[in-house]
Amino acid sequence: MKNYRSSRTALLYILPALLIVVCMVFLPIVLNLYNSFFRWNSFGTEKVFVGFEYYIRLFKDPVFYTALKNNGLYAIISLIFQVGLGIIIAAILEDKLIRKFQPFFRTVFFIPSVISIAVVGLLWQLLYNPEVGLVNGTLEAIGLSEWTHSWLGDSKTAIYAVVAVSQWQYTGYITMLFLIAMQKIPDEFYEAAMIDGASRIKSFFHITLPQIKEMILVGSVITVIGAFKVFDEVYVMTSGGPGRSTEVLGTMLYRSAFRNDEMGYASTIGTVIFVITLTLSLIQMKIGKTGKEV
Amino acid sequence: MRKMAKTLGMAMLIFVLLLTGCSNSSSGEAEGKTVLKFLHKWPQPEYAPYFEEVVKEFEAQNPDIKIDMEAIADEPIKDKLRVILGGNEVPDIMFSWSGEFARKFVRAGAALDLTPYLEEDTAWKDSFIPASLQPFSSDDKNYGIPLRFNGKFFVYNKEIFDKYNLQAPQTWDEFMNVLETLKQGGETPIILGNESPWAAIHYLTGLNQKMVAQDVRMNDYNPRSGEFTDPGYVKAMEMFAELNQKGYLMDNVNSSSHDMAKQYFFTGEGGIMYVELEEFQNVEDSLSANWGFFQMPAISEGKGNQNYITGAPDGFIVSSKTEHPEEAIKFLKFLTSKENAIKLAEQIGWPSPIDGATNPDTALQQVVEGVDTMKQAEGMAEWLDTDVHAKVADVYLANIQLLLDGSKSPEEIIKEVQAVAKEVQSEVE
Repeated sequence: MKNYRSSRTALLYILPALLIVVCMVFLPIVLNLYNSFFRWNSFGTEKVFVGFEYYIRLFKDPVFYTALKNNGLYAIISLIFQVGLGIIIAAILEDKLIRKFQPFFRTVFFIPSVISIAVVGLLWQLLYNPEVGLVNGTLEAIGLSEWTHSWLGDSKTAIYAVVAVSQWQYTGYITMLFLIAMQKIPDEFYEAAMIDGASRIKSFFHITLPQIKEMILVGSVITVIGAFKVFDEVYVMTSGGPGRSTEVLGTMLYRSAFRNDEMGYASTIGTVIFVITLTLSLIQMKIGKTGKEV
Repeated sequence: MRKMAKTLGMAMLIFVLLLTGCSNSSSGEAEGKTVLKFLHKWPQPEYAPYFEEVVKEFEAQNPDIKIDMEAIADEPIKDKLRVILGGNEVPDIMFSWSGEFARKFVRAGAALDLTPYLEEDTAWKDSFIPASLQPFSSDDKNYGIPLRFNGKFFVYNKEIFDKYNLQAPQTWDEFMNVLETLKQGGETPIILGNESPWAAIHYLTGLNQKMVAQDVRMNDYNPRSGEFTDPGYVKAMEMFAELNQKGYLMDNVNSSSHDMAKQYFFTGEGGIMYVELEEFQNVEDSLSANWGFFQMPAISEGKGNQNYITGAPDGFIVSSKTEHPEEAIKFLKFLTSKENAIKLAEQIGWPSPIDGATNPDTALQQVVEGVDTMKQAEGMAEWLDTDVHAKVADVYLANIQLLLDGSKSPEEIIKEVQAVAKEVQSEVE
């Protein structure tokens, strides 16, 4: 009886939070889906029902595929650098030889991820500038003048230049997550491995990796979902240009809503982003067969 | 049971508090004063003080009116306007570009018809240069009041021009010769920063106008009837692309911003740059008298009127939802009074749409000449990106960068423009 009452009281305490979550998260998702069936703009009064017209148009829209491709590129490159390289950097920092310098490197690697994206965007825009930027300047200084390039201004390289900035910014952050996970691994494991004559590389593959499996899952969920939600850095650095070459789903949505006054089309894109990110996280949870420590 | 009711009551209270906290709205009246919300796009330190002074003075003269001013920069205001117009907190007076940008609000019924107020006070109406009121009208009704009159001109570095014995060109062929001479001399003929593609679109604004017959172009720029089938549109883009192919534009146009490009020009690099009249003061500050300007040269084979100027006024529209139209008009009249127009010209160097406000006593010699040129012009070609429907503009803006980096041809681009124009036709009632 006591148990029953306390759980009911608990429910009451949860109620406000629950209501807020429903109002702020679930209701907008449903409303967004509903809005995607209408043609409307933010300042007009009329809403015209168009059914699935926008969905059909979206799947015929070449820009949508450019955006998907760019988001995909973002996800793959981010997985390689942020998760892959992140683990390697974390393992190196955890190595006995380097461990005493670890606080220094930790700080240095972490700093980029706390700088506001707008600032990072403007900073890199300057660094990439073909005339005065540091990137081309460095290339020239080390004798690679033929590699200099108009990085953000060329529709072929712009997306890679933008993706690279994200790697610079967030690899340190993900590395930090791995470091925390690695520090939880008992030293005895490594000592035992050493006694058995395992090399450092071997103990990395047989102790470190399996022990931080959970964190690898978390890290890849964060990066992949982040890659499909990306907006700010693209918007600040190129706003989707030159042409449509760096358009991602986020900027496409923004452009439809606030430039082309097509709120319905923007809602459609929003729904698609929602479906993609939901599917990806479900798949990843399935692969990881867990969610316990997350 | 009482305990239960108590917790339930508590939960409800928290929820209600949260809800009211979120929807806190301010009322229109404060201390018995009429509050007018005023939104403009000049938060920059060199311009904002002018507006603060004018507002302060207006409030001093009208103690029963309070102006609640807000300023949002050029790019963000394009989004802000769309968002606020959908909500309940619409400013009484807000900034708008002329042309299609304003007409979009007119079509949605968001802009107040100002014709009666202008008819009522003909002295006020006649104080404007007619060409500055016209772009704010739709179906012969006025929906906007211009604050600033803007035209686009090529400015050139006199020192460089003198070095090669060059004159300001009158025709497109002469223009090309000037560019060729500069290139042969090892100079950068044209400085252009096209990271935000409106910069190149301003070239196309003039070229479209000069290449396509006026009635055809107006028909195409109207979202209800736009087709863009005239060959002049392709020719216009070809002429612009030619400037790049012949190496007349500076390197890496797509990765430099307009401001950065301006800095190159100001340091004496490059012969010519295409700037707005409002930027003349900047040019003068950096090149001190060592510069001249000319309008986009006439194109002999062009079907459009060659005596047009690229440019447009920008200014303010009044919300159709305003509860205080009389007060809003009163403020606009104050803002565009000759006194304040002169102050605008003197203090920040902007050309004013008020006839006679921009004169040799108040403004830079070149700005006065520019305004005179605009007054003599037979019409204005308004900025392509604010004169056509937003979706058509979007296609033009994105593709002009690809035209410059060579990955798309004019024919491919015009096909996209035609397709989107057709789509727009079916959507605009």
